[in-house]
Amino acid sequence: MSAAPSLPVRALAALGRPVIAAARATLELWGVLIGTLAGIIRSYGKGGRRPRGAVVAQMYAIGNRSLVFVAVTLGFIGMVMMYQACLQFSRAIGDLSQVGLQFLRLVVSDFGPTLTAMMLATRVGAGIAAEIGSMKVTEQLDALRMSGVLPIDYLLVPRFLASIVMTVALTILGAAIMYGAGGLTAWLSFGVNPRTFFDPAMVQPRHLALGLVKAVTYGAAIPIVSGFCGLRARGSSEGVGWATTAAVVGSSFAVIALDFALSVGALWLFGGDL
Amino acid sequence: MSGRAFVEFVGVEKAFAGKPVLRGMDLAIGKGEILYIIGTSGVGKSVTIKHLVGFLPIDKGEIWFDGQRVDRLDERGFYPVRRRVGMVFQNATLFDAMTLTENVALPLRKHQGLGWKAALADARRRLAQVYLADFADRYPAELSDGMRKRAAIARTLTLAPEVVLFDEPTTGLDPVNARRIDRLIRELSRTLGVTAVVVSHDLPSIMSVADRVAFLYQGRVHALATPAELAASADPIVQQFIAGRSSGPMETPGF
Ligand SMILES: Nc1ncnc2c1ncn2[C@@H]1O[C@H](COP(=O)(O)OP(=O)(O)O)[C@@H](O)[C@H]1O
Ligand SMILES: [Mg+2]
Repeated sequence: MSAAPSLPVRALAALGRPVIAAARATLELWGVLIGTLAGIIRSYGKGGRRPRGAVVAQMYAIGNRSLVFVAVTLGFIGMVMMYQACLQFSRAIGDLSQVGLQFLRLVVSDFGPTLTAMMLATRVGAGIAAEIGSMKVTEQLDALRMSGVLPIDYLLVPRFLASIVMTVALTILGAAIMYGAGGLTAWLSFGVNPRTFFDPAMVQPRHLALGLVKAVTYGAAIPIVSGFCGLRARGSSEGVGWATTAAVVGSSFAVIALDFALSVGALWLFGGDL
Repeated sequence: MSGRAFVEFVGVEKAFAGKPVLRGMDLAIGKGEILYIIGTSGVGKSVTIKHLVGFLPIDKGEIWFDGQRVDRLDERGFYPVRRRVGMVFQNATLFDAMTLTENVALPLRKHQGLGWKAALADARRRLAQVYLADFADRYPAELSDGMRKRAAIARTLTLAPEVVLFDEPTTGLDPVNARRIDRLIRELSRTLGVTAVVVSHDLPSIMSVADRVAFLYQGRVHALATPAELAASADPIVQQFIAGRSSGPMETPGF
């Protein structure tokens, strides 16, 4: 052993360690994504063994776990938002005829998919991380590998596919409920005629496309981030708890970051007119 | 086959986050032998056997199985090795979400490519062999530790492995069930010629079953001998372990 390293060296090392850890984690996260995509090809390509029933079972689990949750949350947010919007509009402009048009555009291209995905990030993300994490710490993943099964193919591929389908489905439902609840609030609290409110004139195909792209991207990101956290679980139940928390935080953050990135991308694509 | 033993570890080194666990471990295991690996907790016994089936990559050294070098294989390359080398995990690791039959059927389906129906039928037969026919449709959480252990062993044996790695097979079992596991390991070796590598702390089991015992200490095989030789060993560290004395020359991290 030589003398203790000097202060700058130690400072550099202290700075470098988290950077290296973060870089390694990012690499692993990409590895999970690539592995899952490859797993889809392995499972659904020629001669692959399709995980029969597993995708449907996962879709049911996600729907069962989140349907009421998403519907209630988005309904309430729709009401609160519309109440506030009407309040501000009536004070500033005194005209509420545009409120429904603008609201629908926002719900379709942003609030619907993003808020739905935020809810799913907590429910679905925590579920995936807890399941995979506890299988990791109890060596069930190693037992799968002994049985000739790739854990990613067996566990993550069905959850990935199910999550994409269900995020789109629940987004449609959530957006509809949010829009409906908003319209109801505007009508009952501010006397906005539902005919004026429920007018889809402002919604263009690009809004629908953006909403769909967002829903699909979120639906893909949540199981990847959560699966990554679960696969990293270490130790015992404490490690599973940590992985579950990390999955909820990480996939919520991923939804917000992707929302930003996709919105900026869409603005650029459509020349600032959204 | 190049004069190598059936299973051979050569100068294997492994560290986790800079903390060395194995530091140049050499171990040769003969075909059909029952080799016990003993040592204090955290010394690297589980890590050692996991290396053989490729769950963890080694840092340095070589691992040979039946004349083939396996430590450089990738996940796919390890498939054929895992078909021939079975592992019974420490916690009788069954898949929670599957019934016993489905648990046992999984390796049959994946490794041997059996259809689902054929695999399930075969799995039922194998569960009957370990007296679990009545529990074939139960989930692991509904069973006792001993039953889970037996089911896990049945799952491992479905592929007729040439080597079986047991990670603390008797830990947590009552003495009767523990001796049954001992008998099973002996029978596998004597009647089927299976090579058994057993990680254990269970002295009665070691004394009655092992052909040879490898005592792991500070990342190396500190002593390799028959159980009788080990019991009579003059080595103070071995003596301390066998006698189970809390104080002595042995250095254990964390104390
Ligand atoms: N996957 C892993 N990641 C980090 N450290 C590990 C891992 N597996 C084992 N270790 C560490 O290696 C050491 C040896 O572990 P192990 O072989 O399980 O001990 P034992 O001899 O009790 O079976 C322990 O200190 C353990 O914490
Ligand atoms: Mg161990």
